Amino acid sequence: MHYDLIIIGMGLSGLMAAKTAVEAGKKALIIGKGMGCLTLFSNTIDVFGKITETTRLRDDLSRWIYDHPEHPYGKVGVEKIEEALCSFNTFFRPPYTFQSRNETNSLIPTGIGTFRPTYLIPSTMMRGIALKEKKTLVIGFKGYKDFYSQRLADSFECRGTTLSLPESPSTEITATALARWMEQPSFREFIGTEVKKQIRDEELIGFPAVLGVNDPMGVRKDLEKKTGVSVFEIPVLPPSIPGMRIFNRFKERLIQRGVTFLMGYSVSKATLKDKRCEGIEILHPPVTTSYSADHYVLATGRFMGGGLKADREKISDPVFNLPVSQPGSQEKWFEKSFFDEHPIHRTGILTDSSLHPIDEKGELILENVRVAGTILSGHHFLEEKSREGIEIATGYWAAKQALN
Amino acid sequence: MKLQTEVLVIGGGATGAGILRDLSLRGIPSLLIEKGDFLSGASGRNHGLFHSGGRYVVSDPEAARECIVENRILRKIAPHCIEETDGLFVSLPEDGLDFRNRFIQACEEAALPALLLLREEALSLEPGLNPDLLSAVKVPDGAIDPFELVLANAKDAEVYGAGYLLHAEITSLVVDGDRVKTVLAKDLLHGEEYLIEASYLINATGAWADQLLKLAGLHIAMALSKGSMLITNQRLTHRVINRCRPPSDGDIVVPNHTVSILGTTSVRLEDAENFEVTPREVSLLIQETSKMIPAIEETRFIRAYAGIRPLFQSGEKGDDRAISRGFVLIDHEKRDGIKNLITITGGKLVTYRLMAEKTSDLLCRKMGVDVSCTTHLKPLPGAEKPSGLKDRLKTLGKVETLCDCELVRREEVEEALREGKLKNLQDILHRTRLAKGTCQGGFCVYRLLGMLNEWELAEGDSNKILKGFLEERWKGIRPVLWESTVKEEELMEGIYKGIFNL
Repeated sequence: MHYDLIIIGMGLSGLMAAKTAVEAGKKALIIGKGMGCLTLFSNTIDVFGKITETTRLRDDLSRWIYDHPEHPYGKVGVEKIEEALCSFNTFFRPPYTFQSRNETNSLIPTGIGTFRPTYLIPSTMMRGIALKEKKTLVIGFKGYKDFYSQRLADSFECRGTTLSLPESPSTEITATALARWMEQPSFREFIGTEVKKQIRDEELIGFPAVLGVNDPMGVRKDLEKKTGVSVFEIPVLPPSIPGMRIFNRFKERLIQRGVTFLMGYSVSKATLKDKRCEGIEILHPPVTTSYSADHYVLATGRFMGGGLKADREKISDPVFNLPVSQPGSQEKWFEKSFFDEHPIHRTGILTDSSLHPIDEKGELILENVRVAGTILSGHHFLEEKSREGIEIATGYWAAKQALN
Repeated sequence: MKLQTEVLVIGGGATGAGILRDLSLRGIPSLLIEKGDFLSGASGRNHGLFHSGGRYVVSDPEAARECIVENRILRKIAPHCIEETDGLFVSLPEDGLDFRNRFIQACEEAALPALLLLREEALSLEPGLNPDLLSAVKVPDGAIDPFELVLANAKDAEVYGAGYLLHAEITSLVVDGDRVKTVLAKDLLHGEEYLIEASYLINATGAWADQLLKLAGLHIAMALSKGSMLITNQRLTHRVINRCRPPSDGDIVVPNHTVSILGTTSVRLEDAENFEVTPREVSLLIQETSKMIPAIEETRFIRAYAGIRPLFQSGEKGDDRAISRGFVLIDHEKRDGIKNLITITGGKLVTYRLMAEKTSDLLCRKMGVDVSCTTHLKPLPGAEKPSGLKDRLKTLGKVETLCDCELVRREEVEEALREGKLKNLQDILHRTRLAKGTCQGGFCVYRLLGMLNEWELAEGDSNKILKGFLEERWKGIRPVLWESTVKEEELMEGIYKGIFNL
């Protein structure tokens, strides 16, 4: 089968590339081993949380980019970053939207009792920003061992309570099970009644981010109606239900528009000739299927996603074997303290300003391949708090450039 | 606070806990003091080999003989701490057969049961072994859980009236004439000061023996030898695998519950406090042990750690492995004219009971008391309990598991907390299998801290404790970060630095 664009990797950057392609009227195929880190870590859209000034993020970011042209943001530019974020937002119309507060970073409460700066916040989490000013009750569930309301209450100096659930089939409850149950009116009826009994003079109720996968705002509205108090969600340990919402929304819309989804597959071979990728193969034993396209986007993520591989000697890209910037020998990859900034996180695929892969000398490697997402070199998304921003911006820009 | 006891045992390793039990069974009032938790030194940082004596049978037949005698006793008194796996001494082509022949003869002389296996026999017992091996000798090695062992000793001692002070460090020994008259100590967590009066003192501080003696103006020559080890994510063999050659780097693989431990190295240290596993040691261990078990090249490691062997120095220079692994019992009355002080050091985990017996015998002679040792006859508490993993599997899905890697139930932790006197996170981790599995506590310690808040047992800032734990965990993981552990680390950083902005 031949496509205009083949995207390898189904995380947020790959999905954005597919969106951009299909909206340009192109025929696109997206291949992914799984749902990427999106469903593990993403709750909100971080763009550059490291900047904590109160002015507009856009202004701060353009100043920062000026000094960091090698950063993926430097290659995309502030205007295109904004364009990309707008494009992302077209998939999230009310009631469940992603918005910034006053175009700057805001601090939202987390499931461990800290605050974290982030940029675009889903509607269900927005009210958490007011946690410090308003009396809050945090709700946990007995058997859901990844969220401890009392611990949060101790950190946030508010009140916490743990609800026992009726007739749970197991003594242990997962976030996904809770999210499914939350979509059932009878379960909400129970939760609403129980929470109401606990409320004293609180103005806010914080839940772990499990208020349903499909209609979180509907779930929230119903809970607010039953309790008479405002409700918000708090990001928790993986898996991330808000991340699943993003993934599902993209998948549904992209399939509607004609993008071909190949989920659960990975590329077993890429045929390269004269600085071009001529085709890829997918081995699904015993069958091997070949696909080709005019352009390719590599968006396979870092180590967890499988985009980068670290053996004891070096770090490599298993799909195209593109040059990867090396952080020295293995003992130099990680610093002595866990909380240090580790050199390994800056490695990745080297690209030119249009996201083509290049080697150390700046030589173009493959002219019909672009690279997007966290696999790129020259950023440190954990320190910068820029994961989703890099994914959205480079996914968008890689597809734009390829199809220009 | 002022405390009085007949005997003060200093050091909470296997030796100290063993002495505490021995003395209390003899009816002698004793108190143990330890600056960390039980097993903070070498007792908690070894490869968990339940020695048959084979490892020393050629170089140190005396130590080997002690090992095999104690091996038989511990099988009876502490079956719950031991997995009777047997061990193989494998000869590879490059080793030749000279050493093997000497080995078999030495085993015979030491009354150590040894059975020669042909290549095919060895491979059918352990298919993971290098297929080029020449032969293997089977000996009654095994795996021992030092945590269970030491805590069982302490528990039994307590039943018989002994006491212990953990996280309390001795700051001064006041010598008056020919006796240590008083001991000053300090609680390291809460700052409380103790003044202890003891008729006798036993220095069982292992690698810290000389440091303690300095407080009394005394000195013994100790060699501190660092041994580094790596833990694999799975158990590689059923039996202990040794290389059949003179002891050297990377010549042993010990199964331990669900994992295997590769050991060891031997590096001379100056300081007992600051040491780490170096990249060179990691490479060396993998390179050498994979000669015996080729799959080690590709295996996933979950942690590296090091312990210090406290070796009593004989004077000669050279390989620390040449220094006897037998133990040294010093009566400071004879040596230095201090009548009420004894030092016991060196030795092996497997001979801890014998060391305790000999120390207590000496003490009894000094005290003029005539009671004999019974520790070789009386089983340790828990000996009647069946092995754990099967029980854990049965409860799967029925009870809340705190740690999914090692199947630690919430109730187990609650029980450990009820039993007692736990002062910090490390104390809890020592008494359960929390944080010992694949994720090395990445998830379960977060959960544990959450539960402590629920039970209103949380002391101090939970996030500060968590950060401290993550740093401690990092020390063990950093040396083995490649392949899948790099992915695991990306997950942990994504959680704690990303989602939680810790």
